[in-house]
Amino acid sequence: MDFKFTEEQELLRQNMREFAEANVDPIAAEIDENSRHPAELFQKLAAGDWMGIPIPVEYGGAGADYLTHALVVEELSRSCSSTGFTVSIHVGIACMLVLLFGNEEQKKKFLTPMAKGEKLGAFVLTEPGAGTDVMAATTTAVLDGNDYVLNGVKTFTSNGPTGDNYFVFAWTDKEAGRKGMSCFVVPKGTPGMQAGEHFKKMGLRSSQTSEMLFKDCRVPKENLLGKEGAGLAMAMTGFDHGRIGIAAQSLGIIQAALDESIKWSKERVQFGKPISRQQAIAWMIADMAMDLDAGRFLAYRAAWMKDQGLTFSKEAAMAKLFAAEAAMKHTTKAVQIHGGYGYVKGAKVERLFRDAKITEIYEGTSEAQRMVISGNVLR
Amino acid sequence: MPDIIVCFKWVIDEAYIRTGSSGALDFRSVNYKLSDYDRNAIEAAVRLKEECGGTVTAVTVGTPGATKGLKDALSRGPDKACFVNDQSFDNLEPSQTAAILTDVIKGRLEYDLIICGEGSSDLYAQQVGPRLAEALGIPCVSFVQKLSIDGNRIIAERKVEEGINIMAAQLPALVTVVPDINNPRIPGVKDTLMASKKEVISVTADDLPATYEPALQTVSMTAASMERNCITFPADQAGIQAFVEALAKEGVLR
Repeated sequence: MDFKFTEEQELLRQNMREFAEANVDPIAAEIDENSRHPAELFQKLAAGDWMGIPIPVEYGGAGADYLTHALVVEELSRSCSSTGFTVSIHVGIACMLVLLFGNEEQKKKFLTPMAKGEKLGAFVLTEPGAGTDVMAATTTAVLDGNDYVLNGVKTFTSNGPTGDNYFVFAWTDKEAGRKGMSCFVVPKGTPGMQAGEHFKKMGLRSSQTSEMLFKDCRVPKENLLGKEGAGLAMAMTGFDHGRIGIAAQSLGIIQAALDESIKWSKERVQFGKPISRQQAIAWMIADMAMDLDAGRFLAYRAAWMKDQGLTFSKEAAMAKLFAAEAAMKHTTKAVQIHGGYGYVKGAKVERLFRDAKITEIYEGTSEAQRMVISGNVLR
Repeated sequence: MPDIIVCFKWVIDEAYIRTGSSGALDFRSVNYKLSDYDRNAIEAAVRLKEECGGTVTAVTVGTPGATKGLKDALSRGPDKACFVNDQSFDNLEPSQTAAILTDVIKGRLEYDLIICGEGSSDLYAQQVGPRLAEALGIPCVSFVQKLSIDGNRIIAERKVEEGINIMAAQLPALVTVVPDINNPRIPGVKDTLMASKKEVISVTADDLPATYEPALQTVSMTAASMERNCITFPADQAGIQAFVEALAKEGVLR
């Protein structure tokens, strides 16, 4: 068994750390406070080829492996998990969907500008009445001449207000059940598609989230991604990839919670000594460090399996579930270690705590991950 | 179009050095990095190339395992590298490094300008650059914070205590640079992935014309410790007065 990264993976993780310290740390609190999408930061990310790491060079990516992408999402999330997540969903779901299921024409037209970071992808699946129960979706796509006509309401769309290419899932044949949904690429500005207002969220505030409305939205036939009826299976494959990113995002949050807790506990003196030398605090930090490593082993294994061409659906679900729950648990502890100082706006652990919660909810709730895992082991 | 050599050192990242209770340094779980000022040196070389054309060759002396350092350096823009490596080239002192570089450069590399960092992140002896220039018989300008090429000479701004010193030197020449000279770029993903595809000239101890004996002997190495007096002064007129007097008594204020 080899636990060693390649020299390139180590250098890229280090370079992203430096990039994040120089470009993300200074604005992370501000973009959280103002729920602002930092377009200027994404330009810099694009310039450094960070927006399409596992996408082949011929389609505008950097041509590295998925593990490198995960390491970069982790380091980015350590500074700002909103930013880490935006990169994660853009690459892990939007870009991967076209790479895996798009035809040559679609890869050139949609994937290349996304992998270069010139355009941002959005994954449009969830509906007001269809969360974990994807089959309860009602959005439809009806073929009319050379166009599909989309009608329906989607919600909680990440990159909704800021996206360029929307990957929209709609029923082409509701009767066909799991084989009745299809996926369409809808470019920004297509008549009939409208993004709602950016939601004011508890955490992950600079990641832009909105409703997406489709009213007689005509999409040319060539924008059907993959086969008609294959949409649901494609969405699940997208989730498998995306979940490694969410695991990595959660790990970045835990690492940041650990960084902050170590620093603070060494400075904060109570009962005549730094609280890091109080067993109650030292043990919280020990648990944090342990779960961080455990989460890494799960997440890196899932990414490695993806890179080896193995099936990794269960492993990605395990990594995402474990890391997300650990992120929530340990950001709670990090605030506890900081006491009142961690409850005040401006404390990084306060932001980490709010940002952690979403990792247990999106790209499949923790309950949905347990459905995936149990479905795999019980069959 | 100048051919530029930039020298760099792959050093222990001081953030990973632990200090034992006796003050002994513990190197067991260290990581390595490009010496800080050498990043500035590489950046300066690459920017000159971007302005004037020419080539940049990164040269390092170290152990054969330092391949990550080569990739790190090459990801920052040099065209190729020269890797002078041998298992015995660990813990070299500056006179040895300078002598090895001299023989390698004389024997194998074309150059108009050599750029070094002012000193290394680990020992900061500031010896290699000047010794190398002396051995090659070329002018040396140290503490350089601004550098340009003007025909067949360089114009270099030196950061010195009294102010700024502007020097011109005929090429070929050597400069040692301080961090003020630039803000090194952070390599992008493709820069890092392409680094291992660049040419690396490998030179081993057997290829060199001499053996290189140290002139110094390291007797011991301990962590710097700061003794604190832990005197507190009240923040009033009398306290400030007492504080100033205490600083004067310690010789801090003169």
